[in-house]
Amino acid sequence: MNKRKMYIRMITASLLRRRSRMVIALLAIAIGATILSGLVTIYIDVPRQLRAQFRSYGANMLLAATERTFTKEDVDKALAVIPGEEIVGVAPYRYETVRINDRPILAAATDMEGAKASSPFWKVDGSWPASDEEVMVGKNVADTFRLFEGDRISVTYRPEDAGEEDLDNSVDLTVTGILDTGGKEEDYIYMTIAMMEELTGEDRGFNVCEMSIASEQSDLSGYADRISADSSVLDAKLVKRVTQSETTVLGKLQALVLLVTIIVMLLTMICVATTMTAVVTERRKEIGLRKALGASDRSIINEFMGEGLVLGAVGGLLGAVLGFWFAQAVSMNVFNSSISLMPWLLPATMVVSVLVTGIACLIPIRSATDVDPALVLKGE
Amino acid sequence: MFIRMIAKAFLRQWKKMVMIAFTIALGASLATAMLSVMMDVGDKVNHELKAYGANISVVPKNASVISELYDIEDGDVSGEYLAEDELGKIKTIFWAFNIVDYAPFISTEAVLDEGSTVTVKGTWFDHHMALPTGEELDAGVISMRSWWEIIDGDWLDEQKLGSDFCMVGTGIAQKEGISAGQTIRLKGPKAEKDLTVAGVFDAGSDEDNEIYVPLDTAQEISGLEGKVSSIEVSALTTPDNELARKAAEDPGSLSVSQYETWYCTAYVSSICYQIEEVITDSVASAVRQVADSEGQILNKTQMLMILITILSLIGAALGICNLVTASVMERSQEIGLMKAVGAHNPAITGLVLTEIMCTAVIGGVIGFFAGIGFAQIIGHTVFQSAIEIRAMVVPIVIVLVIVVTLIGCIPAIKMLQSLRPTEVLHGRA
Repeated sequence: MNKRKMYIRMITASLLRRRSRMVIALLAIAIGATILSGLVTIYIDVPRQLRAQFRSYGANMLLAATERTFTKEDVDKALAVIPGEEIVGVAPYRYETVRINDRPILAAATDMEGAKASSPFWKVDGSWPASDEEVMVGKNVADTFRLFEGDRISVTYRPEDAGEEDLDNSVDLTVTGILDTGGKEEDYIYMTIAMMEELTGEDRGFNVCEMSIASEQSDLSGYADRISADSSVLDAKLVKRVTQSETTVLGKLQALVLLVTIIVMLLTMICVATTMTAVVTERRKEIGLRKALGASDRSIINEFMGEGLVLGAVGGLLGAVLGFWFAQAVSMNVFNSSISLMPWLLPATMVVSVLVTGIACLIPIRSATDVDPALVLKGE
Repeated sequence: MFIRMIAKAFLRQWKKMVMIAFTIALGASLATAMLSVMMDVGDKVNHELKAYGANISVVPKNASVISELYDIEDGDVSGEYLAEDELGKIKTIFWAFNIVDYAPFISTEAVLDEGSTVTVKGTWFDHHMALPTGEELDAGVISMRSWWEIIDGDWLDEQKLGSDFCMVGTGIAQKEGISAGQTIRLKGPKAEKDLTVAGVFDAGSDEDNEIYVPLDTAQEISGLEGKVSSIEVSALTTPDNELARKAAEDPGSLSVSQYETWYCTAYVSSICYQIEEVITDSVASAVRQVADSEGQILNKTQMLMILITILSLIGAALGICNLVTASVMERSQEIGLMKAVGAHNPAITGLVLTEIMCTAVIGGVIGFFAGIGFAQIIGHTVFQSAIEIRAMVVPIVIVLVIVVTLIGCIPAIKMLQSLRPTEVLHGRA
């Protein structure tokens, strides 16, 4: 008991007495640990964050009808297969041929909020339709009919079973926005599902459902297979262009962050080690004196290592906290979302710090204890 | 005498000096590698994002909305077309260097032996072009449809196979029982032709129900020689900003200097504008799905790399600083002795600084080259291409190493100056 008390006392006294040196050592370890925990957190969290960014490419899964159409319930059933937090946007579409000024135009009815979420790249001049009486038109349609925001258009529809003398169904809608995508969407007009039902006089279900899901390609194809197997009316397909390319690009980015993390960590750890070595080398004289007084190599190593380990643990703790703070700052700045806390990283950072410090101290101590105390004390 | 003292110090304490130089080299290499990678990451990721295919689509000005939408009987024939012989001009625009790939398309209907009608698209697969600039370019769908999965056979290698081959979408292949190596007869509006199936692809989209043939084959069977109905262009672009958005609405609304800035920046809108200038009667527009997302991901990646670089720079700086402080401090005894024999503070400071600076320069130079090495490792492992080392990196690393080393010396020198020789020599400090 006495011996242990003395040991602890020696270590604390040594740490306190040589304050400036210890601050340097502690700083070095803390920097190393900050970089370690910060970069590892970023590396682990980055795929998740980046995957969310890649959702700006829009839908990566399509639900098509095996027969003609499917209903909202079918979609809900399909969605149950996918973990809720991975679903970014779901937009079911019903397409019908309508007429504007007697010219046929393809009209799509959809859930506007869902479309906004699943196709974030759509640029709308004006605003999205907020009520059933409002409509969004594609840029080509707007050019053809010279439509501008605020114009009112009359949309007509002729039911398939309409007789000779039956009048076409017709509704008047206000154009709230003009859709610019650079794709085929510019040829369509977009209205709400309720309005489409009113216009056509029937609820015919949907033709296709676009889904934007933030998961890996392998998970996605699993979901698609399950949905297709579970449902008799749905055929789930991956949008290869989006999923395949995402896998390629994301893989590269992940490899980049991994390699950067490894190189930065390696260099920083060596840096920490050299600093620790410098701090300990300075104490060769002390070691020589102790040896001359009859201390065994073992007890000297024990004491110095004890010191090193305390420093390593404290520095590691400090670094782990700072590292998390840094990763959080990066995440907030770059991705506007907070990072997920990884509790295991705290002990892991401390263990690595202690190991690096231990190895860095051991080398100079060993070389000091190997030498004859008389030589060390003489300063040779 | 000064030089001799420094030279002596190096010889006597070479181990210590090596360690300082080593640490500075580590820091410098870290800074060099991270700065180089950070500055080049935009270009590299931009190239990777080309996997998403074209970000610009070019169509004839008078393409009728209606015919495109409804494929009205022979709708395409009555529409307007772009001229095939103008295609090479795309590589002559101001931002020609940023155009990495492009492919023309022409679409027609054809009847298979069994009597079913299919959409046939003529395009380039890996069309070889010798440009007026002396540059050579292989462009076409092989690189622009990187997500196509070839489930049977192989890509149609235009340069090797010639034009009597085709690629069939998996939808048609399944329905008609077509497999690679088989010969199919396509009966177009004007002519018919026997084609060997080079491969069957799965595109995961409507393209699965189409047959892709070399451009001249499609022109031959449809009778549309020398015409193309659309061009897809894959270009490296700068993410849009306020100016680009303003210009995209109407380039005429810009002032002269704004116009110049816009025209000479690789915004997707200015590249579109320049393509319209060289291709007669064309409308080039950004494919927002690709162009917008590209900008967003580029910005995020760059920002991420900048922040990681800043962290590593701070780490490198503190690491160097720390070691310099530690190694100067441990020389208190030597300095005490110097003071005891009458050395003045400025003389001692000068000596210590010169020693450390010499070491820093050596370490910095070694570190710089090591850093370039690390950057290339990253470049080749991740992007399979070399990282371009910007000239900017050199001054930044030099300033960083010098400033950081000097800062590292400050606390140590302060301490040395306040040393009292008697105490030091007595062994009490």
